[in-house]
Amino acid sequence: MTKEVKLDPRTKLVIVLCISTLGIAVRDIISLLLILTLALTISIIFKVNLKKSFNKIKRLLYLIIVIAIIQSIFSSEGDIILSVGRVMLLTINGLEKSFQFILRIIIVIISATIITSSSSREIVQGLVQWGLPYDIAFMVALGIRFLPLLTEEIKDSLIAIQLRGIEIRKISIRKRISLYSHIFTPILAGTILKAEKLSTAIEMRGFRAYDSRTSYLVLKMSKWDYLIIFISIAFTSFYGIICIFR
Amino acid sequence: MDFIELKDLYFEYKRGKPIIENINLKINKYEITAILGPNGSGKTTLGKLMMGILKPTKGQVNISNMNSSNMTLAEISSKIGYLFQNPEKHFFCNTVEEELGFALRFNGQDVDYINRRVEELLILFQLEDKKGNCPLLLSQGEKQRLAIATILINNPEYLILDEPTTGLDSHRKSVLINILKELTKKGIGMTIISHDHFFIKELSHRRIGIHRGEIIYDKRS
Repeated sequence: MTKEVKLDPRTKLVIVLCISTLGIAVRDIISLLLILTLALTISIIFKVNLKKSFNKIKRLLYLIIVIAIIQSIFSSEGDIILSVGRVMLLTINGLEKSFQFILRIIIVIISATIITSSSSREIVQGLVQWGLPYDIAFMVALGIRFLPLLTEEIKDSLIAIQLRGIEIRKISIRKRISLYSHIFTPILAGTILKAEKLSTAIEMRGFRAYDSRTSYLVLKMSKWDYLIIFISIAFTSFYGIICIFR
Repeated sequence: MDFIELKDLYFEYKRGKPIIENINLKINKYEITAILGPNGSGKTTLGKLMMGILKPTKGQVNISNMNSSNMTLAEISSKIGYLFQNPEKHFFCNTVEEELGFALRFNGQDVDYINRRVEELLILFQLEDKKGNCPLLLSQGEKQRLAIATILINNPEYLILDEPTTGLDSHRKSVLINILKELTKKGIGMTIISHDHFFIKELSHRRIGIHRGEIIYDKRS
């Protein structure tokens, strides 16, 4: 019979920090592909819903590709693949850099999903036990709580605008920008009003964000946590040094 | 005349947990249909499916004999006006007056026509003295009235109203009943989702009860 090891959210934070640092520091494509494989493997081990993560990346794909193309155009080093007159549009170096950029973004997003395998309450408790002042940790917790509400409000506002007979997909970009500025008003006002109501409600329940607060949930690191933190930091330092001096 | 037709309608938010189960329904354009049921029975979901805000998992919704899945929300809204349970979801502008004219202005309507329509609705919903106020800072009853007015500005053929009496006192409720009766006389039919039995009794021609996503009764007054 195998016993499932439940890692501390702080351990997961260290893993995420290490993978993202490597993703940003490392330059060659093969190493980036290896780091991406590592991030994917760890995500699978932590039972992260990768389908959801890929959907998130898919939504950003358009933006990522545009940035990658711009980066490729502005890199003038290397052999030319495509040029118009004297203007170099695409070079081997530019293509490589844009591919590196795409890989980096995917690594950062996939590694960040590792932390989603812990609840927001556990993450905040981890930060508090790491010494983060309670009021800041509480703000982080509220931010996490408000994020899905904000997404919901944006979706609802877009639906409400279409229900007024406005075809968002068929209007010009200028009109669309003006429309989005309108959406901003209810979302911002709604969020402020909700925050105000929430602060009144929690104060009425006697809540104060003091550092001296005790918590029912207390996290305790196991030997596995210390071991994984040690391996992560050692691997990152070793790999980083190799990449710098190579 | 059947305006909205629900065919074997099935909907679930989470796989294996149906909210609406195989509902078959034909809704007449010129009458007031009430949908009643306890909290969580699927009333709002049914309303959103009828409006095309949610797409059915199985089955289909036909509006004027057209499959709503093939229509955009803007196309549907030219026929049907939808009132959200929370009226604040309808507001985008800084003043009541701007809010009412928002869609017409955006769709390039004539300024004189917009002003005339806005004025008419301000009077109809007794909001003349609030026209310079921020919609989000109105009272609950005023928000509800403004939300209904923003729907009517597009001259819809039909209305789906989700809990229209929330936050209204008995006087405002009777004002709303009169307004809705006037609209019915003008040929605008509606589906009202509500808990308010007095309101429903005053207005509805047909009452449909739903429980756990299924129709449990369908009565005519």
